Order: sequence, then C-alpha cells, then structure tokens
Amino acid sequence: MGLVSWARASSPWLVHFNTAGCNACDIEVVAALTPRFDLERFGALLKGSPRHADVLVVTGTVTRQTRDRIIRIWEQMPEPKFAVAVGNCCVSGGVFRGCYNSYPGLDSVIPVAAYIYGCPPKPENVIHGVATLVSKIRGG
Amino acid sequence: MNLEREERFVSEIKELLGDKISEIKVQRARSVFVTVKAEDYKDSIRKIVEKFGITHISTMTGADSGQTIDVMPHLSHAGMKITFKAAVPKTAAEIDTLTDMLPGAVMYEREVHDLLGVNFKGHPNLAKLVISDDWPSDVYPLRKEYKVVRPEPIRKT
Amino acid sequence: MPEFSVIVGPQHPALKEPESFTFWVDGEDVVRAEVRIGYAHRGIEKAAESRTYIQNIPLIERICGICNVAHTICYTQNVEYLYGREIPRRAEYIRTIIEELNRIHSHLLWIGIAGHEIGFDTLLMYVWRDREVVMDLIEEMTGNRVSTALMTVGGVTRDITPELATRIRKGLDILEERTKYYEKIASGESTILARTKGIGILTREEALKHCAVGPTLRASGIKSDIRADDPYAAHDEVPFDVITTDTCDLFGRVVVRVYETIEAIRQVRYCLDNLPSGPVRIRLPNTPPRGESVSRVEAPRGEDIHYVRSDGTDRPARYKVRAPTLGNLASLVEMLTSKGDYRVRVADIPIVLAGIDPCMCCMDRTSRFIEPSKGKEWVWTWNQLRKYGRMRER
Repeated sequence: MGLVSWARASSPWLVHFNTAGCNACDIEVVAALTPRFDLERFGALLKGSPRHADVLVVTGTVTRQTRDRIIRIWEQMPEPKFAVAVGNCCVSGGVFRGCYNSYPGLDSVIPVAAYIYGCPPKPENVIHGVATLVSKIRGG
Repeated sequence: MNLEREERFVSEIKELLGDKISEIKVQRARSVFVTVKAEDYKDSIRKIVEKFGITHISTMTGADSGQTIDVMPHLSHAGMKITFKAAVPKTAAEIDTLTDMLPGAVMYEREVHDLLGVNFKGHPNLAKLVISDDWPSDVYPLRKEYKVVRPEPIRKT
Repeated sequence: MPEFSVIVGPQHPALKEPESFTFWVDGEDVVRAEVRIGYAHRGIEKAAESRTYIQNIPLIERICGICNVAHTICYTQNVEYLYGREIPRRAEYIRTIIEELNRIHSHLLWIGIAGHEIGFDTLLMYVWRDREVVMDLIEEMTGNRVSTALMTVGGVTRDITPELATRIRKGLDILEERTKYYEKIASGESTILARTKGIGILTREEALKHCAVGPTLRASGIKSDIRADDPYAAHDEVPFDVITTDTCDLFGRVVVRVYETIEAIRQVRYCLDNLPSGPVRIRLPNTPPRGESVSRVEAPRGEDIHYVRSDGTDRPARYKVRAPTLGNLASLVEMLTSKGDYRVRVADIPIVLAGIDPCMCCMDRTSRFIEPSKGKEWVWTWNQLRKYGRMRER
C-alpha cells in the first residue's frame, strides 16, 4: 500500500514520550514535524495527552526512574493502541545495554508494535516506520 | 611548552599550604593537581579559595582506589584547573562539606554521596540526586565491589 | 487572586509519582523550588570502566545527542592528554569546525524550542527549517546528522576535501543570512520581549555563587568561556568574541545565543580558510600510560568537564563526566524563587527552565505544586504547565 493510499485511509494521532534518551532521537522525531519532512501532511498529529492518541512514540532508554511513568502512560491510552520504539536504545538498550539503570529495550516493559532502528534514525525513517505501522493495522 | 604561569601558581600554593601538601604537580598547561590529607582538606581549600578569590567549582569526582575513596573537587580560576585530592577510608567514608564556602558544590556532593557513599559533614541536604527512588540505600554503584546487575524485564519478549 | 483547582494528572492515586520539580506557591508566585533529577541516569560512568577507550567513544557521544560533539572532543582530548601526545594541527581545526557547526545547530534548535515554549510555534517551524541547512552540512562531513563519530583518540576519522569546503561555505552564507533575520526578530518582536524581559533573573553575584556555566553565566555579565580562558582544539588561533550581556534575564540568554551562532559561523569560515595541511590522525597504542587527566570544553550549554584515570590497562579505571546542565541546576532553582521585588509566576516556569537550555529530558516530566496557605497540592504535566503559561499571557 502506497503512502498516499495510507494517508487517505487514516490519520494517526501520536503521543511522544522520551524515557531517558540522549535526546538525539527526540530531535529527529520533532524534526519530522518541521516543514522539511512534515509528518502532519499524512494526518499524523502530535497530541499532548495519551488519552487522545492511537500511537505511542517512545524514544530513549527506559531507566528505573522512568519505567513506572511509561507503563502508566501506556495504560491510559484507549484501545486500539500501538507502541513504536524509536531508536536503538528503545529497541534493545542500544549502547546502554548492560548498564545498571537501563532496561534492555522498551519491549521488556510494554508490548511494542513497531521497531525503528537507528542511532538516531533519520526523520524519513521515523515517518516511514509510523506510516508502515498504521497502513498495516488499518488494513494493509 | 611554556609552563611558567603554572609553576608560579604552584609556588604560591606551596607557600600557603606548606607541609599540608602530600603531593603537588603541574599536569600540563592550565592543570594542577594537589593532594592533601583528609583532615587538612577543608582548611587547605579554604586558604586557596580565599587567597585567589575562587568562586567556581566545576565538579567533584569521587573515585574508588581500592581501600580508599578519592574525593576530588575541581576548582577553576583564571582558566586554570586546580584539582584537589583527598583520600578517605571506604569503611568510614566521610569528609567535610565545601558548600559553606563554595555553594556551587551542593549538587556535586550529592552525586558523590549517591554513587560512592561518601558522607559530606555539614551538607544542607544529602537527598538522592541521580539514583532512582527504588535503588537500595546501601549499594553504591561506582564502588569497585558493585557488580553491574541489569534491571529485570517486566515482561517476556 | 486566581483560583487554582487541584488537577489530578495522569497518575494512579496509590502510586507515588516521581516528580522532577516541586514548587511551593502563594497565589501566582513561586516561593520555593526543589529539583529531583535522575531520570536520565543510565549508568554510563560504570559502563565506561568495562569498555575499552575506543569502545567508549560511542558511549560518551550518547550522553547527549544535541551536544554530542562537545562530549566526544572532551573525551578524546582527555585520553590524548594521558598519552602526552599532540594530535596533528589539521585534526584540531577539523574538530573546531564540527564543534562550531554543532553549536550552530544546538542554538538554532534552542531558539525554536524557546519559541514553542512561549507559544510562538511559527518561530519553531521557521528556525527548524533553516536548521536543516546545518544538519545537511554535518551529514556531508561525517555521514550522520546527529552522533557523528568523527572524533577518535588520536585525531579525526575523516578529512575535508576542497569541494566539501566549498559546499560548507555556501551553507554558512545561507545560515548567516537567516540568523541575522532571527537576530532582528529576537530583539524586536513584541511577543518575545514580553515573555523574556525581566523574566528568570539571575544576578551577577548569584551566577558566580551558584557556579553557573555557559550562556546562562554570560547573560549575567560574566565574561567566561572555556574557548577563551582554557583553549583547546584550534581555539587558541581562531579569533572570536565572547558574547555577554548585562541584562541578567531570559532576554539576555536569547541574545547571547543568537550572537554566538553568528560567531560560530565566522569561526567555521576562518577554519576553512586557514586549514593547515597534513594528516588528520596519529595512531596511538591501545593502552595509555598510568595517570589521570582533566579536560574541559565549552559545549553549547556551557562548561563540560571530564576526568579520566588510567591504571595501565586498555580500559579506564574511572571516567567522570559533568555535563553542563548539572552546573546550571542550582542557578535554575535560584531563578525560580521569588524574593523581594522579583516575583516568579507559575506561568513563567516553562520558559525559565527552557532558558538554561536543559539537556535533561525533564521537559516531559510532571511537577508538583504545593500551596501551603490554601492547604492545596496538585500535579501538572509539562504540557499542562505550558498551556497554562500561554493562557496567562492573553
């Protein structure tokens, strides 16, 4: 399914949460919203509250201190909901795998529907990942 | 490399502190290391801070050296980095606070306390700064005897 | 006096919420603030002890994605000091080029985020669009937009060809023109002036007392910059001005950052025009001699200091990092405390925090408010606080 047909089919609302990242993935996710890449032209909107969102976009390494918050945010999202792990730290712990305060990936804490690799992934990758996920879910 | 300025600085420190200095050396340009005993730590630093009008403490490093923990405040003056070093025994890891003469040290001493378990006598508030709330209070991650334990995953993948 | 309702945020009543900020308020004024960090504590210093010096480069780079160049330069030069060896001059210049490009990207990012915090989303979009110019230049130089891995122990890994230098110069011309435009906006746009003048005051004495660093320090009139006071890389030869203002407020911090971006553009041009010839790297043995070393750089956020101790093996015995934002935490608490005629409003909290350019991911955390006179306590997320701030301005 092409990007355009996907765009016609749906408009995912995203909520973005940074667990404990170095902020590199964050700035690439935010850059995806800026005019050059413009995530919003696909109907994807960044919402402030998890209660309004379909897709939870998570960046950063999950640490002990942020684990409870990410679980809580996940629990507040209404079904159907999907979590996207952006960046190597979220996927597997990344460069912090094995550290005493870092979990080995987001999926050790909440179920993850899509993994976007990269350290950090470029904004194009982020858009592609979110778009592929949504097109798969909505009937691709 | 011209180290005149550093050598002059070292002579002034030697004059001020005399035999309180265990070791002093010019590491390289704009970097001086001074080792003192733990009981002379606060007094020596106070003399240097007052003499040169130092206000800036860059940070404080704590390092596990086996039987002792080195407490190393890094001061900054006119572009020069002055690193003091004092060793405290691990079994009785405590030393005077610098926060009354260098208020900027308040966060750094909390960090050394969190990660190495050094008690800073007279610190206004040694609450947890960097370590998580659910971390056991008598485990100090940066001590050599601590072996890294990864957090247990909440769910199986 | 406005009515505060107790908002139960996204929290379970039974679980203790790990707030990062606690504010004591009296009506609209913040009378006391306390900070709890530790969310981004990942255990890097311990991990550094079990990895080799080369393996540590990607680890140190990811302390902060935004000022990753500053951390890598600080790390590699720290280890090079252990060896007591000088790296080639060309490598020093290339390090300076990527460092200043990184500074441009970081300051432009900040200007956009600061605009977003005060509700000026148009500024965010404009600035971040222009920031893409410098991201492209960094990608051409190093292969990645962020986290560049250009630095290694002994020099840099890639060279700059004359064609690349020409493209960088073209990009710099565009950036300079756009930054001058933002300079006009920052100093003349009424929204920005209203939300930044007189806000977040940190007097000269307070800045020195709390050991502030970076633009926060320089906006309080103190001429202190590691590049000038304790030069590293090519900063002993590349001319630049240390930008300070006397306003001691948020507006000063905006001005300092905008002018530092212009200075950074000039420094990159100078480096390109005077790039010495020669190798870009020397090979050093895996194991440095026993010893210790302290190294400092001027990251976009301020003084970044690293300490290393080598015990003669190929892994560090101790590696300590103090990133600049921790240095500004005590000053932040001071700025958020009302005293005498200086009143800090709840609505100003997000912008004051943004003013120190925090490189902790505390922007998404919650803050707890305590109003003892009314016996009230409530929790807001940052989004709620930001919305409140924008609403109060109307």
